[in-house]
Amino acid sequence: MHQDLYDVAIIGCGPAGLQAAIHAASKKAEVIVFGRARKSGLYKAHIANFCCYERPISGKDLLEAGRKQAESFDAVFVEEDIIETKNENNLFSLVTESGDTFTSRTLVLCLGVTRKKLRVKGEKELVGRGVSYCVDCDANFYKDLDVAVVGNESAAAIGAVTLLSYAKTVYLICRKLMTTDTLYEKLKNSNVKIIEDTWVKEVIGTNEVEGVLLKNGETLKVNGIFVERGAKSALELAANLGVLFDTEAVSFIEVNKKQETNIPGLYAAGDITGQPWQIAKAVGEGCVAGIEAAEYAKKLAGA
Amino acid sequence: MAMGQSVLDVDDNNFESEILKADKPALVDFWAPWCGPCKAIGPAIKELEETYGNSIIFARCNVDNSPNTPTQYSIRAIPTLILFQDGKVVDQVVGAVPKSHLEEFVKKVL
Repeated sequence: MHQDLYDVAIIGCGPAGLQAAIHAASKKAEVIVFGRARKSGLYKAHIANFCCYERPISGKDLLEAGRKQAESFDAVFVEEDIIETKNENNLFSLVTESGDTFTSRTLVLCLGVTRKKLRVKGEKELVGRGVSYCVDCDANFYKDLDVAVVGNESAAAIGAVTLLSYAKTVYLICRKLMTTDTLYEKLKNSNVKIIEDTWVKEVIGTNEVEGVLLKNGETLKVNGIFVERGAKSALELAANLGVLFDTEAVSFIEVNKKQETNIPGLYAAGDITGQPWQIAKAVGEGCVAGIEAAEYAKKLAGA
Repeated sequence: MAMGQSVLDVDDNNFESEILKADKPALVDFWAPWCGPCKAIGPAIKELEETYGNSIIFARCNVDNSPNTPTQYSIRAIPTLILFQDGKVVDQVVGAVPKSHLEEFVKKVL
């Protein structure tokens, strides 16, 4: 349990999160950054259109340099996903996948955009009929039924543990689990049946989900399948804080020129605020969000 | 996100009278207060209500307080939006879908 109070907490360590961290930390704010660099869309990319870099540069190199830069200004990095956010008494509290709680005066969301769907046969047809993308929303509909969760990271692992309180049997289908050791231990010691080294090939059912066919040839009889790829999405983490999303796509967080959302002390930057999905836009927004968040935190601390 | 008064709250008790026996088609949003995606589509539904509220009833049903109605319509995910006309289901849509998608959806009963 961490008791420290930070000025600026940043979720996501892609270009927006890093730039926000650099600017906030250089203004002497206490900054903490959550997430894993390899999950940034930039990690595997080569960038040829970013100002002042004439030759293509590797995304991985950029992200590693950005982290070092932020750390040189004393920003703290925690390589974990956030699974829960709360906003109480003008403070944000964040729970990591290992179960640690951190508190901050401001929060900057730099979560990026991720692909949620599996794109397998039967998935689209059975959405809402056993196929779900949100354990927190839909667990309650699976009391005493058998369910499978599919995913390799924190959202799937946490989702599977959550479902144990509702469902009769919970399977976790993954290629290889990538979570913290703490979360992995928790999962191993639970009743979740982990099926590793495979993936979903097809969702089976006519009017509702009856099972899933795995790539290893095995068929699991389940009433529901929860697709939980990557980390928890902005829709799950931020909508609960009351953050307004764009009404057109219901995917992007609405911000003003200061990168402020409709919630005081809460900012968003990078891909999560909408297109264009470019590093230049991400760092620009991250810069503004970092400065604004640091100033807001100072005012709050002085009040 | 609190919706305006013009979005009608329905429950297990008044679902039949307010929706199934209504003289207008109805869009019912099955939601819960702890559901992030449900909150996210709230504003889009409100905007559609402002445009189409005269010809379609916009209602919402909290699945926590009314367990029977969602079961009756085999709801397994929220938000689920169901379009009713003359007491029958016209169509349904699941998840936080874009506003343009929702607009096409409600136009099915116009």
